[in-house]
Amino acid sequence: MIAAVTEHLPALVVITPLTFSFILPPLGRRLGLARGLVIFSAILSLLGAAGLAFLVFTNPGASISYQMGGWAPPWGIELEVDSLAAFFLLLVALVNLPVVLAGRKNLTAEIGSEGRVIRFYALYLLLIGALSGMALTKDLFNVFVLVEVATISCCALVSAREHPQAARASFSYLILATLGSSFVLAGIGFIYISTGHLNMAFAGDALVLAGQSSPRVLWLAFSFMLVGFGVKAALFPLHIWLPDAHSTAPAPASAVLSGLAVKGYIICLMKILFTVFGPALMARFTVPRILLAAGVVAILAGSVSALLQDELKRRLAYSTVAQIGYIFLGLGLMNEQGLAGGIFYLAGHALSKALLFLAAGAMLAATGKQKISDLAGLGKKMPVTMAAFTIGSLSLIGIPLFAGFVGKWQLLLGSLESGSILASAGIILGSVLCAAYLLPVVRIAYFENAGPAQVQNPGLAEKLSLVLLAVSTLVLGIFPGPFLELALRAARDLLGCC
Amino acid sequence: MVNLVLTLLSGVAGALVIFLLPRTKKRLYPPVVLIFTLASLVFCWLLARQVWQGQTVRLDASLAGLPFSLAPDPLGMIFGLIVASLWLFATVYSFGYMDKKPRLGTYYAFFLLSLSVTLSVAFSGNLLALYLFYELLTLVTYPLVIQTREEATKPAGRKYILYSLSGAALILLAIVLTYSRGGQMDFSTGPLLAGAAPAGLGWVLGLFILGFGVKAALMPLHRWLPEAMVAPTPVSALLHAVAVVYSGVFGILRTVYSIFGIELMQELRLARLLPWLAVFTIITGVIIATRQDVLKKRLAYHTISQLSYILLGAFTLQPWGLAGSLLHMISYSTLKITLFFCAGIISEQTGETDISRMEGIGWQLPRTMLAFGVASLGMIGMLPLNTFWSKYYLMQGGIKSGGWIFALALIISGIINAVCFIPTVVAAFKGNKTPSVEKGRKVYLMLGPTLLLATAAVLLGLFPGLVWPGIEKVLLQIFAKVV
Repeated sequence: MIAAVTEHLPALVVITPLTFSFILPPLGRRLGLARGLVIFSAILSLLGAAGLAFLVFTNPGASISYQMGGWAPPWGIELEVDSLAAFFLLLVALVNLPVVLAGRKNLTAEIGSEGRVIRFYALYLLLIGALSGMALTKDLFNVFVLVEVATISCCALVSAREHPQAARASFSYLILATLGSSFVLAGIGFIYISTGHLNMAFAGDALVLAGQSSPRVLWLAFSFMLVGFGVKAALFPLHIWLPDAHSTAPAPASAVLSGLAVKGYIICLMKILFTVFGPALMARFTVPRILLAAGVVAILAGSVSALLQDELKRRLAYSTVAQIGYIFLGLGLMNEQGLAGGIFYLAGHALSKALLFLAAGAMLAATGKQKISDLAGLGKKMPVTMAAFTIGSLSLIGIPLFAGFVGKWQLLLGSLESGSILASAGIILGSVLCAAYLLPVVRIAYFENAGPAQVQNPGLAEKLSLVLLAVSTLVLGIFPGPFLELALRAARDLLGCC
Repeated sequence: MVNLVLTLLSGVAGALVIFLLPRTKKRLYPPVVLIFTLASLVFCWLLARQVWQGQTVRLDASLAGLPFSLAPDPLGMIFGLIVASLWLFATVYSFGYMDKKPRLGTYYAFFLLSLSVTLSVAFSGNLLALYLFYELLTLVTYPLVIQTREEATKPAGRKYILYSLSGAALILLAIVLTYSRGGQMDFSTGPLLAGAAPAGLGWVLGLFILGFGVKAALMPLHRWLPEAMVAPTPVSALLHAVAVVYSGVFGILRTVYSIFGIELMQELRLARLLPWLAVFTIITGVIIATRQDVLKKRLAYHTISQLSYILLGAFTLQPWGLAGSLLHMISYSTLKITLFFCAGIISEQTGETDISRMEGIGWQLPRTMLAFGVASLGMIGMLPLNTFWSKYYLMQGGIKSGGWIFALALIISGIINAVCFIPTVVAAFKGNKTPSVEKGRKVYLMLGPTLLLATAAVLLGLFPGLVWPGIEKVLLQIFAKVV
């Protein structure tokens, strides 16, 4: 039994959330039971992901390959648990558990009836399944399917609240995301035409030859991919859907959308860029420079836009646009340190941003107000929530001993190794701007005198979820050892396979 | 090791106790704060004894996959001792000044935390620890700056954070550059970049100076300091005349002597420009100071000028100059805190903050204005005050480094200093005699530390040998010789 579970673990971590997602809707209005199942599935995912990560971590150089239905590649679909996949799987599971813990009270208040909450959870699990799949899959068409699944569930999550704004945000997201998906599909099509393969490794090998005969087709394929995934990952200036979508979604959904969903697309893009195209071809198409410039522009533009927002959740959403820039910048550096920095920053941001969104959600639920200036005095009234928010802020700013710092440090090392002054300046300036837009929130909450109004403190489950995320942010910042090692290995794998 | 940990933890533990005390027990704050500040001071002295004896005290930790270490060396120890000793005076003064003011819990908690963090800056053993605590210092002192929550604290606080964090960001960049160049981060093994090719290092030096220069209020990075004077007087006195600004100065001392080293500095063109920047700040700062009418603002600009005395000494790269720097760090801090304390007593007892309205105030506050007068003489650099010696060494250092003009600048600055403060003291005793208002527990708590510090300044002027052994240790370590 145990042997069978271990053997099929790569498939199981994807299938588990999907299965639970299909069990939920028939439950009707039994929210308690549904929540139990969701939390159970989150724990299972965490165990599975931790197991896989442990296996990968203890066997450096080896990766676990799983063939769906026993069909060997290049015909069958291959799931591969390499360092990058293990890293992202674990991250998904680490964010997933606190987010599902947080739900209940606030979620019911935000969404409406209990039946709707159950449907919300069904879609949520669908998204988690798709993200886990994105981490593992080695098949290009499978990537497209998972991207579509994720997109649809994201749309539904954004529109979960019964609010005209939510419907509008969800609609514009739907339009743009579908456009992005079709771009991705077109890109996959071009790769398939040029190589005849859908398996990434095989396509990559064939592409080396194809690159010499028909570089224009590949250039086109690459452009489609970058724009398609750029829209989905909210790379500036393709981010226009994100602020509305992430700020109108219910808090747990915002946490996952900002923390994980956009990252899933980046992981896919990373795999396609480095495994299929390969560093040599990328350099020929000046891809690194494009990524680097896009990253720096995103950091600066996103941060400045965040500074201009009055509403807390919108500010956090724009901050995501800026932080995505760091990850793209890491991709563009094309060296081990920089790429590992980008990958690690992805994790640091996922945890910190999920923490910030959950804390913001708790604050909004308590006060019923959106503006940052309305948060005065919350530091005393909601100590746990504000402490969590502060930890998340410090991490994003990049204060040592928080997760964000480790990523930024690696990125800085990488940017110096590649000799890119622009990148270093972008990283540093982004930190300062981040302090400028996050610290005022902390200041107002702690140091401004509050009105007499009483607030409703979050429940125990909410507090527990905040504490879990805050502790992970700190642990990742103080003892990043294994995580950083996985990121470094993933970077070596990605850069080495040309 | 035990002493090191206890020195640093005293402040944190005290802050924790204050934080946990119920809000109704406000009268317990002063004894708690006093006990923990004293504890920190005692352990700091014990630690200093160990360090003077040549023992290596180290605490290493690998955090975030990177080395962080605390390892007080003679240079850090001098800074640490200044901080821990003066903190005690400012604490007692606070008991008087802050009496019956709101938000005492926050005030004392962050006051104690700042003590720990400042000491950690002093004892940092490598670049990363220095950066970490330098950054933290901004965050833990911010609540003290905006303590009164008046409308003016908002822009002042914003400027404070923005200037400091921007500076820290530049330092981080410089640290990564240093690390990628030399692969070294630990201060104990001599200058980090010793032996590196000087090409391109000018930029790194520039980044460090810009970054630390913010807190050291090197012009034109000084704008935050006069505005930070919205803080309560003990905070202005201790943090914005000594602890916080000294951490910037200390960072520059580290940059020059522990990161670059004398040989490398002599080869960099930028390093030759730096003394001129210091001279510019010395003269401009004190001239702007004479034009301020608000006493605290005048003192702030005066701080800016005086900090550059210390920097000038460090930039001469001479044993004489460095000795002057260290002496000035000690002497100037005692006198400047005295001046600020006097300003606080004046504003608390009479409500006056503008110098033009202080005529005849000496009759109301005779002992305060006496202390003020003593400290003013010190700022000119007269015997028997301790600043005479530091100025003497600084001038020697300036001349030895080949610039008689540096010595001249110090003399000119001394004369402007006289213009800056002496008229205030004279005017204070004009007019008709009025009854003294120096009575009551509150005033005694404020006046006690003020008079003690003024006395200490005179004693150190008469017996400058008291602090010399410590300075000798630093000179021996850096130059392998004494002047």
